Amino acid sequence: MKKYISLMSLIFWVWAAMAQSPTTVILNGTIHIGNGQVIEKGVLVFEGNKIVEVGKEMKTLYKNARVIDAQGKHIYPGLVCMNNIMGLNEIDAVRATLDFNEQGRINPNVRSLVAYNTDSKILPTSLINGILYTQPVPQGGLLSGTSCVVRTKAWNWEDAAVSSNDGVHLNWPFVEPNQDGKENQGEKDIQELEQFFAQAKQYCSQKSPEFNAKLDAMRHLFSGEISLYIHAQDAQSIIRSVSFFKAKYPELKLVLVGARESYLITDFIKTNQVPVVLGNLHRLPAYNAEDIDQPYKTPFQLQAAGIIFAISQEGSWETRNLAFLAGTAAAYGMSKEEALMSITLTPAKLMGVDKQIGSLEAGKNASILISEGDLLDMKTCVLVQAFLDGQELDLKNEQVQLYEKYKKKYGLK
Amino acid sequence: MSIKKLGLILLVFWISIGALSAQTGFPQNGPKDTRPDYVALVHASIQVNPTTLLKDAILLIKNGRIENVGIDIAIPAEARTIDLHGKYVYASFIDLYSRYGIDYKPSNTQRNEYQNNQNGAYAWNDAVKVQVNAADYFDYNEKESKRYLAAGFGATLSGNQDGIFRGSAALVLTGNESAQKLVLKPKAAAGMSFNKGSSRQNYPGSAMGSIALIRQTYYDAAWYLKQKEEISLSFEAFQTLKSLPTVFEAENKLAILRAAKIAQEFQIKYILKGKGDEYQRLDEIAQLGMPLILPLNFPKPYEVENPFDAMRINLADLKHWELAPANAGLVSQKKIPFALTLEGCSDANEFLKNLRKAVYYGLNQSEALKALTTEPAKMIQASADLGTLEKGKIANFFICDKPFFDKESQIEEHWIRGNQEILQEPEIVKLIGNYEASLGLNQKASLQITKKGNKLEGKWMAADTLPISITEKAGIYTLNFKENKSSENLIRASVWVKQQDKNTLQANALEGTAQMPNGSTIPFSAKWVSVQTEKERTDSLPALQLGKIIYPFTEYGTATLPKATTVLFKNATVWTNEKEGILQETDVAISNGKIVAIGKNLSIKADQVVDAKGKQLTSGIIDEHSHIAIYRGVNECTQNNTAEVRIGDVINSDDINIYRQLSGGVIACQQLHGSCNPIGGQSNILKLRWGMAPEQMKIAGSDGFIKFALGENVKQSNHGFPSNRFPQTRMGVEQVYYDAFIRAKEYEKKMKANPALTRKDLEMDALVEIMNKQRFISCHSYVQSEINMLMHVADSMQFKVNTFTHILEGYKVADKMKAHGVNASTFADWWAYKYEVIEAIPQNAVILNNMGVVTAINSDDAEMGRRLNQEAAKMIKYGGLSEEDAWKMVTLNPAKMLHLDAQMGSIKVGKSADLVLWSANPLSIDALAEMTFVDGVCYFSREIDLAKRKEILAERQRIIQMMIAAKKKGEKTEKKISEIDNDYHCDDF
Repeated sequence: MKKYISLMSLIFWVWAAMAQSPTTVILNGTIHIGNGQVIEKGVLVFEGNKIVEVGKEMKTLYKNARVIDAQGKHIYPGLVCMNNIMGLNEIDAVRATLDFNEQGRINPNVRSLVAYNTDSKILPTSLINGILYTQPVPQGGLLSGTSCVVRTKAWNWEDAAVSSNDGVHLNWPFVEPNQDGKENQGEKDIQELEQFFAQAKQYCSQKSPEFNAKLDAMRHLFSGEISLYIHAQDAQSIIRSVSFFKAKYPELKLVLVGARESYLITDFIKTNQVPVVLGNLHRLPAYNAEDIDQPYKTPFQLQAAGIIFAISQEGSWETRNLAFLAGTAAAYGMSKEEALMSITLTPAKLMGVDKQIGSLEAGKNASILISEGDLLDMKTCVLVQAFLDGQELDLKNEQVQLYEKYKKKYGLK
Repeated sequence: MSIKKLGLILLVFWISIGALSAQTGFPQNGPKDTRPDYVALVHASIQVNPTTLLKDAILLIKNGRIENVGIDIAIPAEARTIDLHGKYVYASFIDLYSRYGIDYKPSNTQRNEYQNNQNGAYAWNDAVKVQVNAADYFDYNEKESKRYLAAGFGATLSGNQDGIFRGSAALVLTGNESAQKLVLKPKAAAGMSFNKGSSRQNYPGSAMGSIALIRQTYYDAAWYLKQKEEISLSFEAFQTLKSLPTVFEAENKLAILRAAKIAQEFQIKYILKGKGDEYQRLDEIAQLGMPLILPLNFPKPYEVENPFDAMRINLADLKHWELAPANAGLVSQKKIPFALTLEGCSDANEFLKNLRKAVYYGLNQSEALKALTTEPAKMIQASADLGTLEKGKIANFFICDKPFFDKESQIEEHWIRGNQEILQEPEIVKLIGNYEASLGLNQKASLQITKKGNKLEGKWMAADTLPISITEKAGIYTLNFKENKSSENLIRASVWVKQQDKNTLQANALEGTAQMPNGSTIPFSAKWVSVQTEKERTDSLPALQLGKIIYPFTEYGTATLPKATTVLFKNATVWTNEKEGILQETDVAISNGKIVAIGKNLSIKADQVVDAKGKQLTSGIIDEHSHIAIYRGVNECTQNNTAEVRIGDVINSDDINIYRQLSGGVIACQQLHGSCNPIGGQSNILKLRWGMAPEQMKIAGSDGFIKFALGENVKQSNHGFPSNRFPQTRMGVEQVYYDAFIRAKEYEKKMKANPALTRKDLEMDALVEIMNKQRFISCHSYVQSEINMLMHVADSMQFKVNTFTHILEGYKVADKMKAHGVNASTFADWWAYKYEVIEAIPQNAVILNNMGVVTAINSDDAEMGRRLNQEAAKMIKYGGLSEEDAWKMVTLNPAKMLHLDAQMGSIKVGKSADLVLWSANPLSIDALAEMTFVDGVCYFSREIDLAKRKEILAERQRIIQMMIAAKKKGEKTEKKISEIDNDYHCDDF
């Protein structure tokens, strides 16, 4: 403690002199690493855009550092939202603002990155609740396109990109229950997909095939560089899709998305070692036979079964509530740190960007949130400062500006 | 076909021709051919009425009527005698819900979606078909006639069964004669329903719209008599219809209650045709004092082998499969008069099978007969002609080979108006038995003939035992069997009955010829030696052990509703919502549904003491804006003003979302009409008394509210199809209001000046109520211009808007709203879903609140409704609101805007015991509602919930196993996916 005090006085002096210091030290806060660990009264140091040190005590002496005293505050990694359409849509009801659903059923070649609108008015509303990264996911059809991992604040999509291509998204067709096999549209769609994958594999194994954009977009899937995101909700679709790909294309990296009924088949998912991205937890039970709190407790059930999973917020403007989905999962059985991991480190891992983002560990991007209280609880989730790649963020978005404008008009405090 | 059968059918043919040719005033092609029709049926067992069976009795028929019936009556010499020894005679059944013989095809051309499309001076709405008389479209229909006769029905009340007011139905006979002879009463009853049927007009687009249309039509018909302004053929026809019994088709148990409520309003009675689920709300239905018509279409067992798919079948559907056959018996036990209908059964066999099943499930046989004969006759005032086999009545009866309720009993003949029709060929020879047979001179064998189902088969037992295939054609039996075990060559014999016993019908001797494999023909003969004992059928029905009837009839319902008890909460953190603020370590006592004491260390004798240490007790959440528990349509979109429709008419008390809301600490909600039109329907405030019937869930004496709406929804901006409904702009929206209120003022003036001659207008009545401060507006609103506009409209009409709901730009006009005195009920953080919400901010509620506007946070969504505590907490985060003020936004403030704060919304002695016990600070994400009390009744607790989950699982398993067993036994199954309870939002239509 003595060391701190002397240190503090030193760096405080330096900071006053050099406001644009390349080094920032955050002291005294409760640091939620994102990997399940917490450090009470810890210290976090970042230089430029990278975290250099996180721990109970500081190991290095930094000159010219700026110091943030986070006494009583909570420090988190920037949140990561998967399975989302922020930046691809602006106003749900205005067609001209929608860019997430391309015409046609098989579009693995369309890329969300190039449509990602960094000037979307929705992004800043999520930013102030700590969502610093998102995965814009093309929607619709059977193979809806290629997603990416982006920052929620950037000048343009090139700057925004953390990963320009993290996977291809497949909507596994739902086979209506109680219908006879062959005449079912779901069955026909599955046949179409099976054929497409066979042709794609054939194409990708040829030395110089005649160029086909759709088939070519599958190349990185078969090489295992990117993931195949299988969007499937019901247990039977999950079993069938995973079994199919495990048997025919064991080289594919599979991730389940949505997975509403994953809780029914945890053994299967565990055995096949497929990670899961859960869809919106704030939903009603899908049918009356589901427990009233089934959506809320699914994460805990997956965790208890040893399944790796992320929690996602579908949609766009709703994204700002991502942390509260994790909070709900915590209220229904998970620990807060595990719940946090499902919106930070785990999604980063699933998208292959955990070397850069997802937790507060040395060497990772300095994307850091400082909150008044528990970030997962809406009552206390108030960001006081936030950094993206070491850059401090302006937390006064247009909504806050409107708020202040009208408070001023009415003379409210 | 046997010769005898052919003869009988020819006989029927002759009788029918005779009847037709006897028609007076009809030209004839050929000589006069009147036949004698004086018949005596003798030695029969006659079920004269549902409770009297005469044995060895005589039925005398003349001119199509029963001349006499009894045991010791003289048989006139001129009567033809038919011996019905061993047979049973029953009065024909009467079906009061039928389309039999009605060839009615409504025209389906749509010219105008807002006005009627039929030529003629009829009602404005095409679903009002009062002028349609089914008798105009009636004729004998051979195929359908067979179906009715085979099921025992000799008369039907036949209607067009199309539309809301269906016109008149005709009482007709199901026999084969000319329409002139078959129609007993051309206008025997009126028909109604909530279903607009073939009408292509938009209105009504919802169940509540149908109810409003019915009520308005009754008022219009009464007014029509007094006025001299117009001619309406519909209302002319209505005057005849109103004196007739009315059959109202109600699509389920709750629709029965809805229809009865209308009947009560107009002091009439309906005959209510139900769905067969009446047992689920039997007490309420029994109190109506109105007769029922019940179908016997029981569900087949569902396909439930696949557990994943079976999850999609709700408990209600599973239980209904088990309990549907018990419905009629349960209705009967409640002494509710009822009739049974063939409607819903695909054929006569299904009906008869299900009728006998209903008897096995508890319906008394004579009650069943009553429901098929005397009750329906009474309901449509036809007892003088139909229903029993008493003197003077029409000779409608059928003849069975065994007592009717025996499983094996067959209806062999059906007589309509004294005309015989054969349905089942009676057995004319009994072939089964053991015979000594010979082929030619040398070959002897034992012949055994048996019956499997309806098929004869046999064994040829000589050196080898060989199976025989037996077929029959025109009285000749063909027997094929192999010459010996090792050969494939067949012996083919044609055999006929040489001699039979007249009484037992047993064949004593057979003869015939057989062609041998080598081509030679030799004589065949067989002599009967002994009876072949028929194997006892073992498929006797198991003893009944039915599942419980639960209220509501869905998951988490209970067999016995919980009651209000005296409960003492000890040492809770109490959020009073009063000046006392949040009290620590405080006791609260409730009794008889009220809060009776608040204080430290209360010592009150309680039924239940809840240790609430470390827990937080609050008044329950009230959702100002909800669309749960609404049946068939949240919007009546079809006109820009539908002030006449009422959500309170269409409460769905079975909606599982009620229970889900309770689990989130919600105790009441305003069920609002949607936002389809500038003036929507009247809302209902629902107390979440889970398990009670719709009317019992209303808050007695509460003020009336109505939904208004502004902006994109009422302009139909996001419909995605061209629309022509006025208004299409915000400019037009204002005009809708001025027009409506000015008309309402004129209406009120006219009504006051001349109440007798003024047409009562339900739509105008609602608007007059608003201006007289007897009904209060909750207005869906987004942008500031429209908010401002409606306040101006209200000011100019000297009333106040009660609440702006959604009100996402309220913060821009908070000062004006404060000045107007309007309340605000808004979302915490919804935005960007359409253009008009792009300036919505999550601090909106805080600005409004801090400006002194009473502000609430609402859901508009069944999922968010159960997390309203969390939505309120967002106000702390976004606007720095105090915890107490945030909490009031989902409790006291909505109570205020619903004018219920005198009884709800805070923890205060004397107020309603609508309480929630939370596991943690109710505004924190960790908080779970552990117990939810409404009126002092604990409708939800985590403990009860877990117990119920186990019960549900066990009950599902029990029924699923039964279904699989039924399938294995050979019952046909059906594929089923249950409907999901509607999760409506404002803009669903």
